[in-house]
Amino acid sequence: MSDIIKLNHVRKEYDDGFVALKDINLTIESGKFYSLLGPSGSGKTTILRIIAGFSEPTSGKVFFDGDDITNLDSSKRKINTVFQNYALFPHMNVFENVAFGLQIKKKDKQEIKMAVKEALHMVQLDGFANREISELSGGQQQRVAIARAIVNQPKVLLLDESLSALDKRLRKDMQFELREIQKKLGITFIFVTHDQEEALAMSDEIFVLNEGKIQQSGSPVDIYDEPVNDFVARFIGDSNILSGRMIKDYEVEFGNHRFECADAGIKPGEKVEVVLRPEDLDITDIEHGKLRVMVESQLFLGDHFEIKAIDSDENEWLIHSTNPTKIGKEVGVYFDPEDIHVMRFGESEAEFDKRLEAYEGEE
Amino acid sequence: MKRIKWSRIYFGFILVLMYLPIFYLIYYSFSSGHNMDHFEKFTFSHYQDLFSDNRLLAIFLETILLALLSSLIATIIGTFGAIAISQTKNKKGQKTLLALNNVLMVSPDVIIGASFLIFFTFLGIGLGFGSVLLSHIAFSIPIVVLMVLPRLKEFDYSLVDAARDLGASTWQVYSKVMIPAITPGILAGFFMALTYSLDDFAVTFFVTGNGFSTLSVEIYSRARQGINLEINALSTIMFIFVMILVLIYYVITNHKTHIGKGRAQ
Amino acid sequence: MKKSKLFFLIPYVLWLSLFVIAPIILITINAFKGEDGFTLKNFQQFFVNGTFLKMTLNSFWYAFLITLITLLISYPIAYILSQMKNQQFWLLLIILPTWINLLLKAYAFIGIFSKHGLLNNFLKLFGIAPANILFTDFAFIFVAAYIEIPFMILPIYNAICDINPAVIQAAYDLGASKWQTFIKVLWPLSKSGVESGIQAVFIPSLSLFMLTRLIGGNRVITLGTAIEEYFMTTMNWSMGSTIGVVLIVLMVIVMLFTSSDHHKKKEIKL
Repeated sequence: MSDIIKLNHVRKEYDDGFVALKDINLTIESGKFYSLLGPSGSGKTTILRIIAGFSEPTSGKVFFDGDDITNLDSSKRKINTVFQNYALFPHMNVFENVAFGLQIKKKDKQEIKMAVKEALHMVQLDGFANREISELSGGQQQRVAIARAIVNQPKVLLLDESLSALDKRLRKDMQFELREIQKKLGITFIFVTHDQEEALAMSDEIFVLNEGKIQQSGSPVDIYDEPVNDFVARFIGDSNILSGRMIKDYEVEFGNHRFECADAGIKPGEKVEVVLRPEDLDITDIEHGKLRVMVESQLFLGDHFEIKAIDSDENEWLIHSTNPTKIGKEVGVYFDPEDIHVMRFGESEAEFDKRLEAYEGEE
Repeated sequence: MKRIKWSRIYFGFILVLMYLPIFYLIYYSFSSGHNMDHFEKFTFSHYQDLFSDNRLLAIFLETILLALLSSLIATIIGTFGAIAISQTKNKKGQKTLLALNNVLMVSPDVIIGASFLIFFTFLGIGLGFGSVLLSHIAFSIPIVVLMVLPRLKEFDYSLVDAARDLGASTWQVYSKVMIPAITPGILAGFFMALTYSLDDFAVTFFVTGNGFSTLSVEIYSRARQGINLEINALSTIMFIFVMILVLIYYVITNHKTHIGKGRAQ
Repeated sequence: MKKSKLFFLIPYVLWLSLFVIAPIILITINAFKGEDGFTLKNFQQFFVNGTFLKMTLNSFWYAFLITLITLLISYPIAYILSQMKNQQFWLLLIILPTWINLLLKAYAFIGIFSKHGLLNNFLKLFGIAPANILFTDFAFIFVAAYIEIPFMILPIYNAICDINPAVIQAAYDLGASKWQTFIKVLWPLSKSGVESGIQAVFIPSLSLFMLTRLIGGNRVITLGTAIEEYFMTTMNWSMGSTIGVVLIVLMVIVMLFTSSDHHKKKEIKL
């Protein structure tokens, strides 16, 4: 795998003084599926627009395949984009839309025909060439937008919140399909989304962004299991976050109890935050539980129950359980030592990785 | 139920009133008399007079030529203006441009005519076809701008990004994406300019010299001399002409949607 | 993109400066021009000499009457139209007459209003003796209103169409009568259309000099007629320009007056 895109100390400041990006450094390898994940205003779309060439960074450099493309016009980049609202040309039909890029490049007519046919086949729109855009459903428009981009054989495909306009079921289907298309083409996809489930489901690697900074990057599993700070913990999945204190390696205190945990390399007595995922918590009887809580509310969400409970210290606990319980009942809560994730205040991603390496080496 | 009926009667009455003068003219164009009081005998003689009236025919053709030429140029400049206004990011600048654009829209015709007359005299431009053409272009531009601007407001600027992304040059972005997308507005602007030009009397009256005349000015000078059924014959021709124009306009503007509907069914 | 912006801007700005700004400046200069340079003589004459003031008042009175009559006729039409099926077709029928040359329509009324014309024949059916209708104030106002009606209907119709029908239903639902619904809901919500309609009718009504000549028979003298007379007949451009400048100023006042409500937001004080 070789690096295809590199952002070096990229900063973006708008005329009104708003700083959208603060010193972004990232490396994109070819052939992988990336997600830029963050809430609105986090800077994810700005990064995408800088890679696409729609806006220029205030400072810093953008490299493509080793070449500096910071000031290269977007029309000259081997990068194509699938836009948020698809941005299909309303006055052209499906064929004309998909053929647009090739016609601009003055490709041979027969060649264009073949390429468009192939691209439409790739997105499962065979036979749709002569349809008007207004006759297509949202999902079909989405596919045309993808076909229009991939027909140009870009090395990198950018997708800007591309699934956000689709309904939930269609979105799930398209997640699969996008993944399939990416594997077939073997090119890099960079997918911008605010939907953490989507990012977790599709990506090889995720960049979590907030306030113009990369908070954490890594595989979906890493990010989910080992959030580096409470922003990431809260943003990716539901979490129970409690303040606590490190007793010694592999032992932490929170909620007036001491628990065995899997974290080390933190000085004893240091104040920390503890993350427990609701799906890692199991409801048992009081004797078997590590915690004792009272059930406050229960909501059936289709594939699980979302239970809110409160312990004797007034801490609220969110629990996902496949079995229902009773409101007002006192129950026990059980979790394994590995389910506890300890976060230090102000620890950066690099420091976190270093510590992880250090104590994992010990074992 | 009864209320609705009354409203229909009122609507019908006003509609009849709107068309009464026009059909009144057409009706008497076939009368062999010399006034619009009594219909005497059916005749085409006024039409024969009209078609042998070389002066009037020449004016008719010149009026149409003037309308087409002025609307075409006004449409180009107006469309450019609309694009320029929509791309002006500075809110104040945009407001100023729009305010100036609307000056001619709200000015009384006499003021436009009089001030243009002063303007042409000041510059030493002789009065005639040239001055009339310039005036018609000038007062048609703002309406074109106003017809195109809403289309540009609706225009999705991510289409520009999309076209750039697919390799289009600046020129190609305009010619292949933006202009086609706002074409309905441009067409509507062109037709409005056409009607403004065909309908204008006051401005032309001020800036036309002795050598050149449009239909409006000619009708005015003939009508001041009294009733002449040749004018009635001319109204019939004009009415048919307008109907054809309207038909073309509606066919063009509804064309695209009809295709869409047809295929969907 | 910067270069392309200039490409579009330049012809347009050229037009603005040559045909919008320059003529206004020139007519203003002319208004202050005497035999030997700058003078206020024309304005003095305008405001001291009673005939000019009377003429201005007259113009406004006529324009006011024309606008009022047009509004009274047009508002119900616009409302009825908004409730009809095939609105586009009926709307087209309403607008179509505006495409017929104004002069032809005025000319038609010369026939209709003449001593033995349509109207007098009609009145004869009721035993009313033929009257001189042509060259009266009534004829002028009638024809002017006739010409302006579509220009009043259109903006009002558009404004009514923009009103969410559920709002009207809500008013009925809350117990409002038809009249209350009109006063409290329909009228305020369609007011912007009425305002643009008034602008579209009032200002041109100040300058319908061809109608005053053809239909009003020189009995009706308005500011527009006066300007035409000074420019085309007596060739006193500088007096004509003075009247023009006064008309422009009055026009600006009318516009500020009719569009004031757009900027004001009602605040509820508790």
